[in-house]
Amino acid sequence: MRDDPHVVALVTRASGGDQGAWHELVDRYAPLVYTICTRYRLSNHDIEDVGQNVWLLLVEQLGKLREPAALPGWLATTTARECLRVVTAASKAERLGTGLDDSVLFVDDAVIDEEILVAERNAALRAAFAELPPRCQQLLSMLLSDPPHSYADIHRELGIPVGSIGPQRARCLERMRRSSALAALGEGEDKIDIRGGEPGA
Amino acid sequence: MRNDWDDDRLLGALRQALRAREAVPSWFIETGRNAFAWHNIDAELAQLTYDSNEDRLQATVMRSETASIRALTFTSAHLSVELEVTGNSLLGQLLPAREGELEIHTRAGEISTTEVDEIGCFSVDPIPESPFRLRCHTADGTNVLTGWITI
Repeated sequence: MRDDPHVVALVTRASGGDQGAWHELVDRYAPLVYTICTRYRLSNHDIEDVGQNVWLLLVEQLGKLREPAALPGWLATTTARECLRVVTAASKAERLGTGLDDSVLFVDDAVIDEEILVAERNAALRAAFAELPPRCQQLLSMLLSDPPHSYADIHRELGIPVGSIGPQRARCLERMRRSSALAALGEGEDKIDIRGGEPGA
Repeated sequence: MRNDWDDDRLLGALRQALRAREAVPSWFIETGRNAFAWHNIDAELAQLTYDSNEDRLQATVMRSETASIRALTFTSAHLSVELEVTGNSLLGQLLPAREGELEIHTRAGEISTTEVDEIGCFSVDPIPESPFRLRCHTADGTNVLTGWITI
């Protein structure tokens, strides 16, 4: 993963006290932290607890992060550790009651590594999408909604002639492809399975 | 750069990316945003160095015996904070003994204060229901913040 200049700037600004930059960092990485919590099948209460600890630890670490590129890895490892603490505590408590159950859910490192790659790719895609003109964002959102809107709906909502929707979609996607946000994606991306096109994938 | 992705693949990847963000509950994002209130807090952090619950868990496995009092110790370079739960209140002492003021910060963002007497003793009553942390300002200028506590 290359150093994404945008993330480097966010970390620098946040550690200098810029609250807006902190909010952007949280928005960018909350899906990563949240997904790892769900991998451990935590309750909402425990997810909140883990989230609190992870973000508070990050706040304390902000000024000390030498390589902001390592941030997703740090967040993933810290989240996994906090999740493990919660499930281990729950398992201990249960063992006291029954004297039997020693099942603690472990999540493989490879799973966590893949979550990091997916989260980085998703964050870059969302950033590229956010850079698109509002018109493109509206069109792509309508095409991606579940269930997808028909071309007739899109024509009615956005006033684009039905015959122009296909070409406009292509132009918007081409803009995304050329965006600097996607340029930050590293070479490891091709290893990730992209389930293209399937609703809900 | 993803020049090699065709339109459908790019659109599919974008769908996944947007869904992943939508799957995160708003309260989870709020929790993260609020954590910034702790940025650059000018205090020494005191780490949890003893928790009777940990002891009790092990003791029960070994001896089927339970301790009745919850005790915790937080330690920083200059000060330790000893805590003991008795009934509905939390009694504590700063060691070495220091006079000062104690702030109780809850996760909900509420802050209350209480006095620390000349032998370093204080009480927190009632005990906050949500996780909380203590910040001690002593008369000699030491400023210590504990980790989060759940009783």
